[in-house]
Amino acid sequence: MELGLSRFGDLKLNICFGGNMADSDQVQFGRDDRYSRHRFAFSGTAKEYFGIWIVNVLLTIITLGIYSAWAKVRRNRYLYGNTALADGRFDYHARPIQILIGQIIVIGFLILYNIILSLLPALGLILVLVFIVAFPWLIARGLRFNARVTSYRNVRFDFIGQYWGAAKAFFLGPLVAGITLGICAPIASRWMLRYTLGNLRYGGRAIKTEPTLGDLYGVWWLPALLTFGGWLLTIVIILPVLVAQITLLSESPGAVAGPLGNLTTIVLMYFLLFVVGSVVLSLYSAGVRNVGYSATTFDGRHYLLSDMPRWQFVWVVISNLIVTIATLGLMRPWATIRMARFQAAHTEMGFDGEVGEILSTIKDTGSAVGAEFMDIEGIAVAF
Amino acid sequence: MHSDPQPIAGIWYPEQSNRSVRASLVAKGANLAVLAEDGALLTSGFISNTIVTDRIGNVLRRLTLANGSVFETPDNDAVDALVVVAKGGRAGWIHHAERFHPRLIIFAILAILFIIGIYRFALPALVELAVAVTPPVVPELMAKGALQTLDATTFDTTTLSTDEQSKLREGFERLTARSGLEAGKFGLEFRQGGLIGPNAFALPDGTVVITDELVKFADGDTELLLGVLAHEVGHVELEHSLRQLYRSVGAAGLIMVIGGDIGSGTEDILVQGGGLLALSYSRAQETDADRHSVRLMLKAGYDPEAIGRFFTLLESKLHDDSGTSILATHPGTPERRRAVHEYAQKLQSSN
Repeated sequence: MELGLSRFGDLKLNICFGGNMADSDQVQFGRDDRYSRHRFAFSGTAKEYFGIWIVNVLLTIITLGIYSAWAKVRRNRYLYGNTALADGRFDYHARPIQILIGQIIVIGFLILYNIILSLLPALGLILVLVFIVAFPWLIARGLRFNARVTSYRNVRFDFIGQYWGAAKAFFLGPLVAGITLGICAPIASRWMLRYTLGNLRYGGRAIKTEPTLGDLYGVWWLPALLTFGGWLLTIVIILPVLVAQITLLSESPGAVAGPLGNLTTIVLMYFLLFVVGSVVLSLYSAGVRNVGYSATTFDGRHYLLSDMPRWQFVWVVISNLIVTIATLGLMRPWATIRMARFQAAHTEMGFDGEVGEILSTIKDTGSAVGAEFMDIEGIAVAF
Repeated sequence: MHSDPQPIAGIWYPEQSNRSVRASLVAKGANLAVLAEDGALLTSGFISNTIVTDRIGNVLRRLTLANGSVFETPDNDAVDALVVVAKGGRAGWIHHAERFHPRLIIFAILAILFIIGIYRFALPALVELAVAVTPPVVPELMAKGALQTLDATTFDTTTLSTDEQSKLREGFERLTARSGLEAGKFGLEFRQGGLIGPNAFALPDGTVVITDELVKFADGDTELLLGVLAHEVGHVELEHSLRQLYRSVGAAGLIMVIGGDIGSGTEDILVQGGGLLALSYSRAQETDADRHSVRLMLKAGYDPEAIGRFFTLLESKLHDDSGTSILATHPGTPERRRAVHEYAQKLQSSN
């Protein structure tokens, strides 16, 4: 169980999910009347999405996984296409074949790697090194792909992040956060936000993200305290219980109930750690999203804002997970829609002026559109 | 003949532009025209070279004309009708399947049955197939690589006397001669264990490695060591390492394939659960190898319960009397000792 505070998977999802296009530092620009403020709106329904989801799952199984590329496009087109801001909507333009090629490459590499690792462990290690060196590049390409296949009002996003930025955000960041036992997690989060959000472009206009460390530490201390409390609880209460149980077992070897009791404790502990870990991570990731989005500006004039109540977010995450498991996954579509609604409802764009006027001056730069066809989505599969 | 359809209301974007214009799409035969609200012609094209996105739920349909401009509309039914007239056939059978309908219940049941079926039957069958088609050179290379790595990192040359070695070698040959495979496939290697301590393990090509520490641990009881070696011979005969490898690859692939649609939290749980299942599979393999040891020792004229003596020794010397845990690769030692005893009794009484 990782209790580290440096897991950014969810953050990445939000980014591709289109919540992040935006503008302006709310603190800097205030909320005065010259801004036309628009909330994101998500209009998908669980009823409609269930059909899309179950057909995706079924066809993916029947086609031995090949359909998963088509499934991904249909899923994302549904989710993006139901996300609206002002009078415009988002859209997802990836072609299934691009995703399929990416999947084949990733799976091929994994198979090759496993074979080589079994046959010639030394060469396998070299392959790991090659992969580590290539990893930031793959991340940058994957983020660029995701940005370029995303559009809002017929204009594409682009991503201009490079190799070293990815290395800093995805390698150095988790390393620094891990070595300092999470104390430096806000520094890592800052790198991550600046890289993934700050390198986005929309119609050639810059998106800038400058979260302050003060704000990030502001959302850090509560999950940090909870983590600390969780470990203290583990050491003070759970460990003695476990030790007692083990002692009990060794005194009565062969007791039939013994192994069962032992097993129950382990499973319970594991479950407890999982729940505490999920709460802490969700709490922190919600805080980072709020800080990061709210420190983001578009074209230097328009602001983005995220005001998710953190405990409500935790509640949505945990209850979604419980409902999904309890229904053998069948309520997963409901959970997805619920989360999308929640996030959209707590994300806002403030336009400096009238939105139609501002947006109608923006044009696709062309570079994003043309280059997309050279891209494949490799790394996103491996995340 | 079809009459030309009604104009479709929507929004029109010039190529690569954000400037939206309220517009309507009019189809006349194979021609399309996009008209502004005042009736002025914005653009025109042909249905045949217009790209129409697939229908997904209530999401806006996008029609990209040959000149790159885009017409967007929420009127999915009208676009469907247009596509049917222009291109013939039915539009979007996948969308039809996805619609909210009692048939979705059948889909859900099918999906669950398929997943259970794949895990229970297809995956083991695929593993068997993969094991069957794997050329013998693969396990040989695997074994060579593993032994080289261990030699370089933790092993040292054995310090056992030639007397001790030949005693074990003799017994080992007697065992392998009675195994299901030809005796030449097997080989016995002695090593000083270093980090891995008292241990014995089988490599997939038939090489069995036993550490000096284990020999010393047995304290002169050669038959006990032969019981352990018979257990390792069992791993080789039953091709456990290849099975384990293919199984873990297969299970990971299965989770990965449906992963995108089940959400990251659920995927985490599945991966962890998959790990637990792999461990249970490993425990089943150990039990199989224990039973194999009993059979082989009996065939070779040794004490079939020799491996049970090893477990007794583990319990008394290392105080290893833990119960079976779902987090372990091997079953609990007392349990293994009892199982070996029961199996030996059964075999002997049936003879």
